[in-house]
Amino acid sequence: MAFVPPARHLLRAKDLADARYFEPLGVDDLARSAGLSRAHFSREFRRAFGESPHAYLLTRRLERAAALLRTTDQSVADVCLSVGLQSVGSFTTSFKRAFGLSPTAYRAEHPPAAHRALVPGCVVRAYARPQHRTFREDRAPARA
Amino acid sequence: MIRIANAQLWVHDQEEALAFYTEKVGMEVRADVTLPEMGDFRWLTVGPPGQEDVSIVLMAIPGPPVMDDETAGQVRALMAKGFAGTVFLTTEDCHASYEELRGRGVEFSEAPEERPYGIDSGFRDPSGNSIRLTEVRLPAEV
Repeated sequence: MAFVPPARHLLRAKDLADARYFEPLGVDDLARSAGLSRAHFSREFRRAFGESPHAYLLTRRLERAAALLRTTDQSVADVCLSVGLQSVGSFTTSFKRAFGLSPTAYRAEHPPAAHRALVPGCVVRAYARPQHRTFREDRAPARA
Repeated sequence: MIRIANAQLWVHDQEEALAFYTEKVGMEVRADVTLPEMGDFRWLTVGPPGQEDVSIVLMAIPGPPVMDDETAGQVRALMAKGFAGTVFLTTEDCHASYEELRGRGVEFSEAPEERPYGIDSGFRDPSGNSIRLTEVRLPAEV
């Protein structure tokens, strides 16, 4: 088999970050997947892709978190854990630095997740149809 | 009428690429011809069963005089970094194809995920080329 260019091993580490960001993955794990020492790996990764592996992994997690904020109604703490980050405090700080808004404000800037759910028409019709109320019920107290 | 017949992908190693695209992705060999009069140039193409008129050319990176060493090194480096191109495949059932390919040892960098245009996933070939596997499904009008 032909000689494999070293960057192919770095790409393997980058792909690992993209595939398993939701696990408690760190730069050490990425370095191991590339078969390099941590210091050598970080230097080579930056040379190949123009940013540190730490920055790549973190921004992948923030990108995934932003998608969850837009498309789900998971709490900010759940979103943080769902993308493999442990501390909600540092998540909020990093998120704000990356997107210019706190996770809560970012979510508020986007249409509610419910608007984006591609619920089939038949389900909408089945579940959105109001319960029939009679004239008599108008005067009944809202809650019995 | 102009139609697409083949599209070419650089590969690091033709044997390795052939095994990957046939044994793991499930494609079939369309052409595998070595031409001694062209310095043993090997024309190697694969395609999905059932779609006979489109193939991917698995092209080895040539040496001089076709390509000088420096350029070949640049192509190799770009490919290894994952920036040498993408093949977009479609499937009727992304989750099923994902499980099938994973069962054959394909490592996905993106598991199937809902997108506005359907369900999308992604993996790489051994050379670093990016392959998308998409179930195209435009949103039904509500």
